[in-house]
Amino acid sequence: MRRRKATSALNTRLSPFQKIYLLLFAGFILGPFIPLIIQSFAFRWAWPDLLPSTWWLEQREKSMLPLAWDYVLSPYSRMLEATINTVFIGLVVTVICLAICLPAARVLARENFRGKPAFEFFLSMPLIVPEAAIGIALLMIFIRLGLAGSYIGIIIAHLIPTIPYMIRMLTAVYQGLGRDFEEQAMILGANRWQVLRLVTLPMLIPGVVAGALFTFLVSTNIFLLTFFLGQGKIITLPTLLFSKIAGGTLDASAAGITLLVTVPGIILLLVTERFIKEEAFGKGFGN
Amino acid sequence: MKKLFIGLSLSVSLVAGGAMAEDPEATAFRDGFIAGNVDWQAVQERAKKEGTVNLYYWGGSDPINIWMDRTVAPALAEEGVTLNPVRITGTKDAVDLVLAEMAAGKGPGEGSVDAIWLNGENFATLKRQNALFGAFAPKLPNSKFIEWNAEDPRSQMNLRDFGVETGGAEVPWSGEQYVCAVNTDRVAAADVPHTFAELKAYLDKTPGKFTYVKPPHYIGNTFVQATIYAHNPDGTGASAFQESIDVIGAEELARLITPGLEYLKALEPGLLDANGGSPRYPEDPSALDGMFLNGEVDFNCKFGMFAVATGLAQGTYPEAAEQFVFPEGNMIKNKNYLAIPANAPNPAAALIMTNYMSSVESQTSKLQGTGMPPGIDPWKLSEAEAASLAAASPGLVGLTQADLDANAAPDTNATLVDVIEATWLEYIERDSTDPIDVIVKRAVENLSK
Repeated sequence: MRRRKATSALNTRLSPFQKIYLLLFAGFILGPFIPLIIQSFAFRWAWPDLLPSTWWLEQREKSMLPLAWDYVLSPYSRMLEATINTVFIGLVVTVICLAICLPAARVLARENFRGKPAFEFFLSMPLIVPEAAIGIALLMIFIRLGLAGSYIGIIIAHLIPTIPYMIRMLTAVYQGLGRDFEEQAMILGANRWQVLRLVTLPMLIPGVVAGALFTFLVSTNIFLLTFFLGQGKIITLPTLLFSKIAGGTLDASAAGITLLVTVPGIILLLVTERFIKEEAFGKGFGN
Repeated sequence: MKKLFIGLSLSVSLVAGGAMAEDPEATAFRDGFIAGNVDWQAVQERAKKEGTVNLYYWGGSDPINIWMDRTVAPALAEEGVTLNPVRITGTKDAVDLVLAEMAAGKGPGEGSVDAIWLNGENFATLKRQNALFGAFAPKLPNSKFIEWNAEDPRSQMNLRDFGVETGGAEVPWSGEQYVCAVNTDRVAAADVPHTFAELKAYLDKTPGKFTYVKPPHYIGNTFVQATIYAHNPDGTGASAFQESIDVIGAEELARLITPGLEYLKALEPGLLDANGGSPRYPEDPSALDGMFLNGEVDFNCKFGMFAVATGLAQGTYPEAAEQFVFPEGNMIKNKNYLAIPANAPNPAAALIMTNYMSSVESQTSKLQGTGMPPGIDPWKLSEAEAASLAAASPGLVGLTQADLDANAAPDTNATLVDVIEATWLEYIERDSTDPIDVIVKRAVENLSK
């Protein structure tokens, strides 16, 4: 959205301040990627050299073991398994989250009942309670239930921090929607199913896509809960990355893995960008 | 994390109320194998039925990960066992998992960890909690390559792990020695220190070019232990630190370690970045590797007999890195092991795996591929086997095997390590003004709770 605004502003004229602001903005976002990209192609890169003194390709033939990108792209790095797990868990979590949150958001936006403010506060609790506390408590329960180290366990755990976000987003969308359009359709003779299919859902779609995108991105970035409940058996991109960089240094293969970890999110952003038009937010959060 | 998990295990055990589920067949198999009533063929057959072995190991090294997938997995597949290499960030995570599962009532055959690569404190914890499979190691066919005869002093590294009796509950996998490397581009040969006094003198002259890994990391603990050995007021070195804290007592331990800790305190102003206040200690060896590569420090001490050779091959060490003898007579040597937890879900497959890991073939390819020194004992091999093992070595850089042997020292008893670690944290890191004997006494009391 920000970028859209920026490009439309570019068509007019930018003040020097705006240009500097844009450059700084781009620098902060893209800047960290530059050393990462260089590091991923390095063999030996020591301070104070501006560029690696030895590149990976120079050593490639000499080394008995796959280095840098050869390692990252080889099955030894477990990247494929981690990516599939991450995307699979993210998708399932998103679908379940939507199924839970759509009806809940509808009620929260439109109905009034006793204890509603308290209930809304209760829904936000998982955002306040530290993830580690939730993880430990869940692990205790899940070990007894035999869910620890299983996909189901991780998916349930991921629902905890994602549901509050999704509910808040969808409630806002429903609030913006109003009952008028649905009532109008009913007056004109539509049945409940037709109202849902032809009126409510199309108007909700941008908000739903935004919420789903957000849920997916949150799910694919959860480290601690996945780490506790996956017990090292189920690896996702965050847990793989953490075990690689926990040592505190970033070698070429760690840099390569870091770069690849960002790919699913970027692809998803590009795919969904056309769904999330400004009016999604305008309608959703306006009024 | 540690406290978190202790709390967790305690609360789980309260919830569980002591009820422990177990697979009676797994228990019978274990008892039979340890009593020697199950022959190896039966183990192989059972392993085929189990099908998988879940090996938990520190997954931060590319060469080890590659070796596991490239060499170990196909070799075990020939035995009908699929290797599931679970890469963990810290060995303690696997130990905590076993204990949490046991506390939640998952008994023999019901857990999720089949084997763990570990030593020292982690083994001692499993042993203390009665969470080990039992004395399987001497029953493995390939244990003939390991010296078990207690009358041979060289067997100590197989029988005792940080002073704790292994009781055959873990099988040696690799033997390491604490070796320091120096960047010879930056330090003249004549200036390379070989004793702690020379190190102090060097840092007085050129401050800031040395640091060591921070305890409680075991690499840091080992540096502190070597210092304490060298400053032992009785001059008896490592031999005074082989008994448990219950035998030695807090007062005597405080007396033995005071000179070493005072030396470390005096060394602080010469350490990395100390001129602006307190020095910078890296959290783990890979952080120290980074500082060494970047020239922030000129020395790098860790367990790594072949660290320079492999570091050069991986680009993680500066090109002029060389090993040297330091500290003279106190280069701590120990082994690391593979242990099977009591509730291993695939005990027979775990036995097949640990037996394979003790074979000459796997030890040779491990040495060649990862630079991890052998855990089996060369004098128990045939001449041809010993020669092939020696030929696989990535090589020492700047010193000889004779130098390493001549300066070797044993590790410290695991119960003392805890106390020394707590004392370092309080006396050095938190700059406590209490005298060392008070700190030691407090640490002993806290740890015995």
